[in-house]
Amino acid sequence: MRAEALKGHLDGLILATLASGPAHGYAIAQLLRDRSDGAFDLPEGTLYPALHRLERAGLVTSEWSTQAGRRRRTYMLTRSGGGALRERRHEWRLFASAVEAVLT
Amino acid sequence: MSWLRDFEAELSARGVRPAVRERLLAELADHIACEGGAQVADPSARLGVPREIARQYADELAADDARHGAFAAFAALACAAVALVVSQTTLGRFVGYPGFDRGFSVALSLPATLAIVVGPQVAVIAGTLAAWRAIRRRRAPVLAGAEIALVRRRARVGLVAGVVTMAGLLLYTADFIGVAPAWWIALSGGLAGAALVALFAARQTLDQGARTVVFASGPPGDLFDDIPPLRRLRAHPLVLCLSAALTSGTVVTLAEWHAERSLAEGLQRGIFEAVALSVGFALLGRAIGARR
Repeated sequence: MRAEALKGHLDGLILATLASGPAHGYAIAQLLRDRSDGAFDLPEGTLYPALHRLERAGLVTSEWSTQAGRRRRTYMLTRSGGGALRERRHEWRLFASAVEAVLT
Repeated sequence: MSWLRDFEAELSARGVRPAVRERLLAELADHIACEGGAQVADPSARLGVPREIARQYADELAADDARHGAFAAFAALACAAVALVVSQTTLGRFVGYPGFDRGFSVALSLPATLAIVVGPQVAVIAGTLAAWRAIRRRRAPVLAGAEIALVRRRARVGLVAGVVTMAGLLLYTADFIGVAPAWWIALSGGLAGAALVALFAARQTLDQGARTVVFASGPPGDLFDDIPPLRRLRAHPLVLCLSAALTSGTVVTLAEWHAERSLAEGLQRGIFEAVALSVGFALLGRAIGARR
């Protein structure tokens, strides 16, 4: 799937990925790819601007740790991030059912 | 890793501040290491084009910084407003307003009074417009460079007016050291000093990210986008200016007539208000997006 198709949905997808637990950027990219059976294979560098944007908005928080001598930033969903995810899920269901009703 | 070097160069070229840049690079270095480091055949295909990611990042960061700066400026101006109101209310209620000629010198009290009368009005208008634009555009991930510049300019004008007001309040307080009680001098001077600290801190916040180069283009928007009912006046800035001057002049005249029980006093202050507003519009209207 082209990266453009994900625009507007990437933030929600990242929040959904983090709902299952804290993860670092690479793990989030892997989870997105695995859960979508490889359909969401976006340029992974674009994840980080999105993660930083979500953090500035207070939807995720992050902290440094050290893994195998490397600094690693791990991201976690905040309470308001959880609320935003519920809102996005609700909006998506409405949108998907409307599209479904028109297309089929 | 050349991809990281390219990305760092792009971030630097876009003026992304060093702390943010270092964090982003450390995260991407970890990401690349997870993928097998140098064994990745085509990093650009896997990670994206450095220039595009840096551009997107800089645009989003600049928009967030500008909004954050506008909110910080508004909060600092609110502190200044509290300082002014508490100072003047306590003076009026517990001490009584000393006349111009009661202080050290009219050369002090006149500019001080001018600053605490005119400064707050400029601060309220510019600071509110900056915060209002930031609120209106809070969900936009990216703002045009011209729009970011407008938000910053409004916030900066508001902060400068706030500093002028607080400097005026300090001067006003100092002018009446021999007349007003010590507790009021300490209260007024302390509040003005604290508000000045808040204003300078907000200036620091506003300056953060000011060097970020924004790629997104578009119109800056103006007062008429912020307040849609005024749109009919967009092509007639003079009508807008005269209407605002007439309205505020009338309000001040009536308020002062009532407060001072003197129509002549009310008219004098109302005319001053209308003239000051017109001069302010002429001098700062373009800077805060009230006219083109």
